[in-house]
Amino acid sequence: MIHRRPRLVSGITVGVLIVLLFLLPALYVLMMAFESPSHFLTSPLTPGSPDVSNFSGAWNGADLGVELLNTILYSVVASALSTLLGLVIAFPIARRLLRGHSLLYTFCFLGLFLPFSVIPLFAESRVLDLYNNRIGYIILHVEPGLPLAVVLLTAAIASVPYELDEAAYMEGAGYLTHLWRVIVPLIRPALLIAFLYGMLGVWNDIIGPVVLLADPSLFPVTRGIYNFFGSNESQWTLLAAGIVIASLPVVILFAASQRQINRASIVGGVKG
Amino acid sequence: MWACLLLGLAVYALFGIVPMIANVIMSFTDYTALPGASVDNVGFSNYTSMFTTQAPGFDQAFIATVVFVVAVTVGQNVIGLVFAHRLQGQSRAAAAGRVLVFMPIAFGVTIVGLIWILFFNPQQGPAASLFGAFGVHSAFFGADNWAMPLVIFVQIWQNAGFSTLVFIGGLRAINPSIYEAAEMDGITGWQRLRRITFPLLAPSVTVNVLLAVVGSFTTYNLIYVLTGGMYGTQTLGMLAFNAAFGSFEANLGYGAAVLVILFLMTLVVAIPLMMLLRYRERRLFG
Repeated sequence: MIHRRPRLVSGITVGVLIVLLFLLPALYVLMMAFESPSHFLTSPLTPGSPDVSNFSGAWNGADLGVELLNTILYSVVASALSTLLGLVIAFPIARRLLRGHSLLYTFCFLGLFLPFSVIPLFAESRVLDLYNNRIGYIILHVEPGLPLAVVLLTAAIASVPYELDEAAYMEGAGYLTHLWRVIVPLIRPALLIAFLYGMLGVWNDIIGPVVLLADPSLFPVTRGIYNFFGSNESQWTLLAAGIVIASLPVVILFAASQRQINRASIVGGVKG
Repeated sequence: MWACLLLGLAVYALFGIVPMIANVIMSFTDYTALPGASVDNVGFSNYTSMFTTQAPGFDQAFIATVVFVVAVTVGQNVIGLVFAHRLQGQSRAAAAGRVLVFMPIAFGVTIVGLIWILFFNPQQGPAASLFGAFGVHSAFFGADNWAMPLVIFVQIWQNAGFSTLVFIGGLRAINPSIYEAAEMDGITGWQRLRRITFPLLAPSVTVNVLLAVVGSFTTYNLIYVLTGGMYGTQTLGMLAFNAAFGSFEANLGYGAAVLVILFLMTLVVAIPLMMLLRYRERRLFG
């Protein structure tokens, strides 16, 4: 057990590093959000008596209520659609129901490497009347989640035994009934992961709302809070409160689905 | 079945494939998206102007992209490997560590960017006090020699958790009996890491390196939030965006041409890299 001590030391070093680098910045922003501006000016590094006025200021100033609802609408609907479309593409591929199934899979797989080509999408949104409206914004955000959904769901469906298809066929279940009643319940974890990654994609997109939306009432919270930064320079405590409010929905969602995220990423690692 | 399949593929084609083709076509035009403005075929002039002074910024963006991609890919994977090695266990501390390093991914690009802007704000930020204690004063994201390293740091910070989870998956897939056999042979510590763990991680290395390379080539969301491409952080993706939407002289054709070059660069790097990493896997696993 000669190597025991350096191991312990390096373990502690990594632990301290993670707390310093990952926990402290988040805690610091949380602390800032509860500070009064005057206290922050004099001693920015220490907490003062809690002051919640920043939150109401940010909530009203950045119109966060509407923007949070927009974000939830965009990410949930767009990601649900891309998960469903991913499912109806993945099933025939996984079950080899068509001749070119592996070619089709490659075709979808390549989509993982496509960048979000925002310039032609901007032009396309103008032509198809998808520019600066909610439905258009949702439609434009279905595709980015699609390739990953196809890849994840194909793998999941392939692990569901064929016998179940045959049993359902004997009972005379239709195609969609079969998908919905038999396949969907069995691949729920993969569906959830595809859905979460889709949502993350919509949530991460800051260029999209800048290019594809013009009307502030349509902004998702990411663009709202970004603009709020631009228009409230140096009001640091107010900005911190805005960040805390804007990140609340994802933090809740993240906490609720922590186990699934962990598991799916691990499957990805094993599959290579 | 067919109706559903075709609906799915239609969406993929219309918003994934068509834009990519349209992007190539646009790169040969002087398209501005202004209503009423004519769209003319300008041949290769969008491409040739990259290498002349007509459209400045290309050389600088090219170098910035290479620096960004190399630094992020190396940094993210080294840190991911170290974290994964320490956080793979079943202990509560390890589980808490995994939650922490994954947290920035849930925050998303915008929140992550803004958190660090607050942290590095030159007036009252904690970083300013910290560096100030050593007599170092800087505008950080607004300083030429600081902006790029900080942008790289934040990009790694945001994505290290993903690399970590993939590596943890790889580590857990290694058969423990191999370690037992190695221990019998007296192989421990650094030797064990170098000779056994790292080679057996090859599939995870392939996934992580490729995702980091492709991801860092194509991303510009974070740079947009942090600096908008100023102070030497204008990568090719950012240049394309700024050329198309950043100024009053919107030049979507030039932006599209920059995106084409970026896409080709990604392919030229990613495909041989993928073949190399796959070759390495085959050689290691026989």
